[in-house]
Amino acid sequence: MASRVQRLAEFFVETDLLRLRIEREGEEIELGRAVLHREPVPELPSDLTADAPPARLDAIKADLVGIFHLSRPATAEGDLLESDRELAYIEALGIRNPVRSRGAGRIAAVRCADGDAVEYGQVLFEIDRG
Amino acid sequence: MRTVAVFSEADRESLHVRQADEAFCVGPGPVPRSYLNIPNIISTALVTGCDAIHPGYGFLAENARFAEICADHGLTFIGPKPSVIAAMGDKATAKRVMKDAGVATTPGTDILASVDEARAAAEQVGYPVLLKATAGGGGKGMRVVERPEEMERAYASATAEAEASFKDGRVYMEKLILNPRHIEVQVLGDEFGNVVSLGERDCSVQKPSHQKLIEESPAPHLSEKARAALLEMAVRACKHVGYTNAGTLEFLVSGEQVYFMEMNTRIQVEHPVTEMVYSVDLVKEQIRIAAGEPLGYEQKDLQLRGHAIECRINAEDPRNNFAPQAGTLQRVVFPGGPGVRVDTHVFSGAMVPPYYDSMIAKIIAFGATRDAAIARMERALRETVVDGVNTTIRQCLEILATPQFREGTYDIGFLPHLLAQMEPAAAER
Repeated sequence: MASRVQRLAEFFVETDLLRLRIEREGEEIELGRAVLHREPVPELPSDLTADAPPARLDAIKADLVGIFHLSRPATAEGDLLESDRELAYIEALGIRNPVRSRGAGRIAAVRCADGDAVEYGQVLFEIDRG
Repeated sequence: MRTVAVFSEADRESLHVRQADEAFCVGPGPVPRSYLNIPNIISTALVTGCDAIHPGYGFLAENARFAEICADHGLTFIGPKPSVIAAMGDKATAKRVMKDAGVATTPGTDILASVDEARAAAEQVGYPVLLKATAGGGGKGMRVVERPEEMERAYASATAEAEASFKDGRVYMEKLILNPRHIEVQVLGDEFGNVVSLGERDCSVQKPSHQKLIEESPAPHLSEKARAALLEMAVRACKHVGYTNAGTLEFLVSGEQVYFMEMNTRIQVEHPVTEMVYSVDLVKEQIRIAAGEPLGYEQKDLQLRGHAIECRINAEDPRNNFAPQAGTLQRVVFPGGPGVRVDTHVFSGAMVPPYYDSMIAKIIAFGATRDAAIARMERALRETVVDGVNTTIRQCLEILATPQFREGTYDIGFLPHLLAQMEPAAAER
């Protein structure tokens, strides 16, 4: 078991996946990494930043090329996410590849429309981690 | 015809991205995750409604599995059939097929299973020998082995480099023919069994790593008899294997002896010299053939006219073993005028990323005679400005000025010898 986890961890490090979860026959392995892709936070005018702390915006990017579909129930800007959930999926070569929120937060922007063709690295959602 | 380009994050600003009607990023800079990322490339073709994929001349261009995957998804692969790529793109198999077609090949082996087998084979063939990647091209995965004690290290590095470059570490062995000329034949075949040759290219100006630097067509000092034999052999071989689309058969020519070396089942870097002297757009022909059109002409309709030379402009330091250079090209000015063609993906301000081949441009000069083509190439190279990285421009000018190049008497030993002569002079400066 330990060597399998180690091999899996080595594989995981080489990918740009943020979280990998395998469930099989009562076993459950989840690997995650702390470093997240960050879009630069736009600078706000000083009068707005005076009392509100700057938003921590996480960009959720496409990690493959395909067609973007919002998962149901569809998320919209302003929605609060209490925990990690599937926001959308990218359909590529007939396979449904989930796009998850990778934690809680507020949807600051939905950057793609249902049915859009998306490229690698394209920003799909911006999430305010508060 | 509309085009969709694929690119890596490192190539976002590249000219091919701007010139295509649409462009899709297929992954980060490192090759395995972008230009060899088959799922993302196929997915791009599907989501953009492509009919066909042109694989270019690197990466997946000679990958039979990729051609099969294209077919599985209803996409036309612009190239030969997967079974022909597998047979001819695999260099050891290609030699066997060529022998069957009655074409002379260099003495050598099939794919080697181990370093011990390589040692035993080298004793039979006789040193010096060449280890070559069966999936290879561009000098990658190739090693010269002069003595038995060098074999272990050469075998290990050739297989490792082949694995890294082509995802296929298998190598085979060939006897090293000392100082031959590298002459290759361009062919086109359609799906109706018609095959024509479009003359030959002399690619003997090669760096010590066996990468080509200057190519020309027609080959200087090739007798009409040898030339006719070479072209006939190439066409016969292609008919024998049912070859379709564009391809190149590479030969080593030593005196009157001609040996088949390998076949490239794709368009090649140096194809423009052939286009210039035959007034044929080879990439257009590839697309027509892939669309199922007949060639529409015969061998006798193809007339050679004039002479063409190509110089590869690489971001490399010729004074430092052609070490690749990465960085920003502060200023780029390309030549123009009659008979000068430039193929490039760079511009002033472009970044040369560290991930890919160092070639940044090809300059091609045409002339009514070889002398006129050389004069035009010298003028074109002097007009070219590339600031920000070292390039092969000066090296190419130095080569063009040598008596061996002027007289067309060079062979593949010429450039390594010239470099060895220059080293002491460079050290004195």
